[in-house]
Amino acid sequence: MHSVDFFDTRIIEGTSTAIVLDNGRVEQISVNSTKGAAVRALKGGSWGFTSADGDFDIEKAIRAASELAVGMDERSPQEKVIVKEIATPRVQNPPKVTKNPLDISLEEKVQNLKEIGKHADMNSISSTSAVYRESSYRMLYSDSTGVEGEYEVVRTGFAISAVASRNGIYQAGRESRFGVNGYEIFDKFNANELAEDAARNAIKLLDAKPAKGGNMPVILDPELAGVFAHEAVGHASEADLILEGSSVLENRLGENIASPLITIIDDPTLHEYGHFPFDDEGSQSEKTTIIENGTLKSYLHSRETAAKLGGKPGHCRAQGYSHPVVRMSNTYIENGNSRFEEMLEEIGNGIYLSGSRGGQVNTGEGVFQFNAEKGYLIENGELTTLLRDVSLSGKILEILNNVNMVGNDLTMNSGRCGKEGQLVPVTDGSPHLMISRAMVGGA
Amino acid sequence: MYEIAEKALKASMRFGANEAEVYIMESQKTSVNIKKNLIEGAKENIAAGIGIRAIVNGAVGFASTNVMSLIDDTAKSAVSSAMAQEDDPDWKALPSNQKYPSVSGIMDKEIKDMQLDECISHAVEMIGGASTTPDIIVTSGSFSRSHGKRLIMNTNGVEVLEEGTGVSGFADVITSSGETSTAYDFAISRNNDIDFGAIGRNAAELAKRSQGTISIEPCRTEVIMHPFAISDLIENAFMPSIDADNVQKGRSSLTGKIGEAIANERLSIYDSGLLEGGIGTGIADEEGVASQHTTIINKGTFESYLYDTYTAGKDDVKSTGNASRNSYLSTPSVGSRNFVLDYPQSDLIADTDNGIYVNTVIGAHTANGISGDFSVEARNAFTIKNGSLGRPIKSLMISGNIFEILRNINGSGNDVRNVGGTITSSVRVADMSVVG
Repeated sequence: MHSVDFFDTRIIEGTSTAIVLDNGRVEQISVNSTKGAAVRALKGGSWGFTSADGDFDIEKAIRAASELAVGMDERSPQEKVIVKEIATPRVQNPPKVTKNPLDISLEEKVQNLKEIGKHADMNSISSTSAVYRESSYRMLYSDSTGVEGEYEVVRTGFAISAVASRNGIYQAGRESRFGVNGYEIFDKFNANELAEDAARNAIKLLDAKPAKGGNMPVILDPELAGVFAHEAVGHASEADLILEGSSVLENRLGENIASPLITIIDDPTLHEYGHFPFDDEGSQSEKTTIIENGTLKSYLHSRETAAKLGGKPGHCRAQGYSHPVVRMSNTYIENGNSRFEEMLEEIGNGIYLSGSRGGQVNTGEGVFQFNAEKGYLIENGELTTLLRDVSLSGKILEILNNVNMVGNDLTMNSGRCGKEGQLVPVTDGSPHLMISRAMVGGA
Repeated sequence: MYEIAEKALKASMRFGANEAEVYIMESQKTSVNIKKNLIEGAKENIAAGIGIRAIVNGAVGFASTNVMSLIDDTAKSAVSSAMAQEDDPDWKALPSNQKYPSVSGIMDKEIKDMQLDECISHAVEMIGGASTTPDIIVTSGSFSRSHGKRLIMNTNGVEVLEEGTGVSGFADVITSSGETSTAYDFAISRNNDIDFGAIGRNAAELAKRSQGTISIEPCRTEVIMHPFAISDLIENAFMPSIDADNVQKGRSSLTGKIGEAIANERLSIYDSGLLEGGIGTGIADEEGVASQHTTIINKGTFESYLYDTYTAGKDDVKSTGNASRNSYLSTPSVGSRNFVLDYPQSDLIADTDNGIYVNTVIGAHTANGISGDFSVEARNAFTIKNGSLGRPIKSLMISGNIFEILRNINGSGNDVRNVGGTITSSVRVADMSVVG
């Protein structure tokens, strides 16, 4: 019927609701109900892809993708691509939703969010915002080899931010929790307390001092260390980047690339925000060890990269009806056995970097830059002066080798990760890390 | 389109809205992707959807869908989400029917009708351009063309239908021998006038020139920023402060500063929805307000924030035509149209004795959008010695504050680039802190 070597389809249907509260007032409520399809077709070494919004004719979409693939193959033939064969995925141990958000009225959700917003409103706080988001989606996968799968996923969460100001200085504090769960997320986390934490953090930062830059020993808190694991190591282990020649981890499998204290895992089976039962190519989700005791063990794969490099698929994801790309899920550094107090004692003098305001990484050159939410000077093993606008930058492999203590306090943080213009839900995690030497940037 | 729009407005009023607006968009986009010097595949995205704003006692409810059979349900959701909110006394009204300017250069039939063959050849031109430099791999790249239509209709008589095209290309390259170095280049236009070979060529030459790096000592020095670098900082560290919404919510350090000198007296900045062929050009903004030219900084003096209809109503001023949306899935919010930096131009590098040249920065999105503080990693940076580019610099952090940059700008090159919605030449800034 279709003159292609392979095709697959994803049909995604669902609803989402967002409530945005600003300074205690509802700023926006939006309700979204969508349906769409994404189709890939492969001919020789050329991919054709189509996506369609709304009421579509799936046969027509397959034909359109096939025509693109065939057209590309005729005009610029490429080396044949093999798509790894997989077994039909099973939905095992799905997250349980105890309070379906669709059963709770919009009014109750608004009331709840207003209460949370109030807790962030303190003296010195000039503005607050609180956001609630929920989504329920059904995904149907099928491919031309007969693989089929279906699952539903509910994601719910909230974010709070507070801005403190004094004499023209503004500082922000943020807290957010998102997961693969229902409205019970408000039972799991005390959103009111988190709102107060965000506000108190912003107020404290008003008195923070700018950091003095330079090379020095540092301790990273679990949030920033988790961002490092995700941004610097996770992205560099994505096999599509390996294949295109833009990762420092190319040709390093089996090598010691990090301190033996470091083990880094990507595990989509965990019931965290980055969870999925099978990926957007129908591959069963599975725990993958990227680095084990300092040795690079595995890249993250799609069906195409797994066939090419050898490896297991299961890490290929898409936002909505976009084309699937090699991505992370729940990425974390495994616990070591040091206590935070021991790290302080060991480091003597340095900087403690805490929280994250995001960052970027150039996986090709192996360099990264992250901005911490705040920092503290460490003097004689004690946390002293609070610092603001402090950042960490350096070479991925140097930092991995410079880790000389790993904490025993693994903590996970949910967020969204962008790649090729697509955002997908992920979780990063780590215990505290002590690094003997890193580049700290300041104002 | 008109039929669906009228149906959505009628349904919203029937469910109890005082005012309603419908936004319908349809777009078709083709792209051709490059991976490691090869054409990887082609994509076609057909998007169409509808967003409804329903207003009840000043509260704005919003719902969207891409399933046209769900128009009634969507209108109902929009009205119920308005009803779940308290009244908003700050809400004035949706825009009314008005006179629209004419604009040009945003619809190119060649792009609208472009076939797959031509899309592929543009992607091949980028790879070909890069291959003129030895030992370079285009790690990833993409050509894309798009054509779209949008209709904005509301119960106050606004009815704006606009059609436009866009085309863009980018190439990320890496060196395959010697020191590893990367670079990228991109271009975007509304018309079929991009030199795709030059994108590959520029990126490749820059990556090559960035080999053989040296380290430098931390210092304060003059820094010249390429349009890519300065536009990235402007968008992330400056634009949030002129967004009237942030100002009204106490999230801008430009609050109360209208009429004050905040920049070098030779620097002007304006925003315009009327620029010929601009990425943000159109007869109206995304809620149907006529596009205009807004001076933000006039010879160093701060003159205006950017407003959409809601924030303008709150301050009792007229909207500056800056309502923007990402798609039919969201309500409009304040955004720039074509943002233009204007400073007298000269041969900038030749005029600089000693300093640093920075092509791009990474991490600009981590800037503090309120204070304007940033700390970013500079990429493809070079020393400047006696009026010419010197050695590439290995690793460089630049820290500073965007408002200090506006005051300390002391030069601008004659290399104007359209970087998405920001149009600027390279700029030179005195006394910046760099850590090597």
